[in-house]
Amino acid sequence: MKKNIVAMLLAGGVGSRLNILARERAKPAIPFGSIYRIIDFTMSNIANSNVDVVGVLTQYKPLSLMAHIDNGKPWDLFGRTRSVEILPPKTGEVMSDWYKGTSDAVYQNIDFIEDFSPELVLVVSGDHIYNMDYRSLIKFHIQCKAHATVCLIKVPKKDAHHFGIASINEHNQITGWVEKPAEPRSNLASMGVYVFRKEWLVRALQIAAKKDGFDFARDIIPVMSKKKRVYGFVFNGYWRDVGTIDAYWQANMDLLSGRSYIDLRTWQVKTNFSVKGEIGDRPSTYFSRNARVQNSLIARGCVIEGQVTNSIISPGVRVHKNAKISDSIIFHESIVNSQAVINRCIIDKSVKIGRSTTLGSGINSPNRDFPKHLFTGITVVGKKAAIKSTLNIGKNCIIMPGTRVKQDCLSGTTFGVKS
Amino acid sequence: MDNILALVLAGGRVDELLCLTETRAKASVTIFGIYRIIDFVLSNLMHSGIENVGILSQYRPQDLVRHISSGEHWDYVGRKRAIRILAPYSGFKGSDWYRGTADAVYQNISYIEEFLPEHILVAAADHIYRMDYTPMIEFHLEKKADATICFTKIRTKSSRFGYGITNKEQRLIKYLEKPSSPPSDLVSMTLYIFRTKYILNVLKDNAAESSHEFGRDIIPRIIADRKTYAYIFNDYWAYARTIASYYGTNMDLIKHRINLNKWQIRTNLLERCKYRDRTPAYIKGAVSNSVVSDECIIEGDVRNSILSPGVRVAHGAVVSDSIIFHDVKIAPFARLKKVICDKDAKIGEHSIIGGFGNKVKSKNHNKFLGSGITVLGKNSSIPDHTRIGANTVIYPSARITNNDIQPGSTVI
Repeated sequence: MKKNIVAMLLAGGVGSRLNILARERAKPAIPFGSIYRIIDFTMSNIANSNVDVVGVLTQYKPLSLMAHIDNGKPWDLFGRTRSVEILPPKTGEVMSDWYKGTSDAVYQNIDFIEDFSPELVLVVSGDHIYNMDYRSLIKFHIQCKAHATVCLIKVPKKDAHHFGIASINEHNQITGWVEKPAEPRSNLASMGVYVFRKEWLVRALQIAAKKDGFDFARDIIPVMSKKKRVYGFVFNGYWRDVGTIDAYWQANMDLLSGRSYIDLRTWQVKTNFSVKGEIGDRPSTYFSRNARVQNSLIARGCVIEGQVTNSIISPGVRVHKNAKISDSIIFHESIVNSQAVINRCIIDKSVKIGRSTTLGSGINSPNRDFPKHLFTGITVVGKKAAIKSTLNIGKNCIIMPGTRVKQDCLSGTTFGVKS
Repeated sequence: MDNILALVLAGGRVDELLCLTETRAKASVTIFGIYRIIDFVLSNLMHSGIENVGILSQYRPQDLVRHISSGEHWDYVGRKRAIRILAPYSGFKGSDWYRGTADAVYQNISYIEEFLPEHILVAAADHIYRMDYTPMIEFHLEKKADATICFTKIRTKSSRFGYGITNKEQRLIKYLEKPSSPPSDLVSMTLYIFRTKYILNVLKDNAAESSHEFGRDIIPRIIADRKTYAYIFNDYWAYARTIASYYGTNMDLIKHRINLNKWQIRTNLLERCKYRDRTPAYIKGAVSNSVVSDECIIEGDVRNSILSPGVRVAHGAVVSDSIIFHDVKIAPFARLKKVICDKDAKIGEHSIIGGFGNKVKSKNHNKFLGSGITVLGKNSSIPDHTRIGANTVIYPSARITNNDIQPGSTVI
């Protein structure tokens, strides 16, 4: 079937800096904003921009992600002319099996793209929080008669060394490109969103593959921008790369800032609500006489009997009497027993916190095993961990998934087997 | 359960729910925030493994049709599984409205014969309960019954129900529909299982008569054949036939008489949010002993109330003992007490709704509205600084020109 544009969504990244949150799931599948997963933002952008066909490139632990994408119906990408296809790595005539990088993943699925004979290919990544109508980008791309267009966003100079940094001329044509520069010459960072004229994308991918080039930011854009018409489209909205524990926590807190960084209503974010293992829908949340809730997002299916302040609570969470939760993110089905105190924590799914246990107090010493992942005071508790009653767990701690904690953990401790 | 077909009675028109049923059938009235009343019987059927369901609907079915949609929300899609809405249709002989519950089934014989089920389960759509129908079906088969009527034990002096008297073998020996004084504590749940061949013959005979109700005409008649049994259901069962009972049933949720987390009720959540999903609730104010749904924004006070998705309670506003439907906007410093407020209403600043004049009965709806509840219809727009007394009903889209509406009023 002929389509004008096909979207390729890169969802294979390991997300190792998100530590145990990304241990059992791909980064795009990590819950975000109480009821969503990170990929919902990109999927909704695609759906809301009327792009009809999406290939989702998966590689690392894709099961949660595949279950979540399902048949594409939650995003209305389902029907005779609309579809989502999961594109995992595969073996073929050549035994080049794993995706070696972002552009290699697209290169190995050129057949999928060619099926639709599109003029344009939209390449996006599944791990960013933003709201964008890609139609304005596509319009710009066509007006510029560009071979490729890269979405750019202004970032603070001090952060520029994390990104691909572009220089543009007065016509927005890209004149320089440096990947993660030590001394950035501009503050225009790549958002990992590209539009290509299909024939030029195919050609560039073929040339890159011969030279062992596998990455859009490192091997495709820098080469193309020297010889071809590559433009920069500057995006002015809210955009966050949530690739670190701190950035992930901060972006969640931006939902509560009252400065409407993320406006879930106007962004029209769609998600897949189906509940694993349960047959019913979740009823609305019950707040008891003792509930005290301040500046928090609370999903359905919770029972709130304690205090919740500046926090994001996912579906099915129970907060018992006199428990105190502040500045925290709590995933689905976790139970916080009475008098527990939780401050600045990220608590994964189905965790049990015992009565009168304290999490996130004490001195702010960085995690000893992952000092670059955890140093701002955030403690992370892995999926299905159970922490016994009357314990003290400090700041920057990691409680490994599935562990049973029966002892105090000082700040900076990792509890459980490290892998 | 491929030898049982379910028929759900969802057609009846009711005046007693006043403006809540002005644009919709009783079966599709909102309850417990996110559900519609029919969700309970449909979820029961789904959990009991019944594969085909026909819904008999006649009165204003649009909301119901949209809500049922493809049936996928109750898992009724697939080659073997389906929900069908059976609306009245005209034949060679002209218009044939359903003349009663029994007539509605009789007019759909061709639908029933499509499946050739050995037994038919007939259930009312307007009761709130969680029941596995399997033990009742087994009971019906064990007794080799022609008909099994489900009863629940309620001690009441109300004459609203049908009452049964049984013998030792649980055979039904007497049945009285709406008697002046109850002869027993066995109240009919309007839930029946019939042997198909038997009941179709009975319905054929009844068709020539003037009244066509299961409770009034069919059950008393079939008792004589001595193969009608009574099955007793002993769990929570509630109904919403009047404004007061609808209100009371809702409040049972926050009195913890119902645990919806265990009931596993399914509903259609997409209906009013086609283009996106409802966001989580955002809470900044005080919420106490209340149920609050998705996308509510609470900046004021909410006590002992049930809020549907998308309700906004602005700062300084107080909502107590109330049931508020989808997307109602309550402006700063408004006070609502014991109010049922239908969808998309707007309540102006500093207005006071309900909570005074509880003893003044409704002038126009004396029988239906006397327990101190104020009902605001769909799309009501209440201007700033308006006072509205108890036992008052504001009909949908009524224009309010008087800012002091006395208790017991009706505004159309």
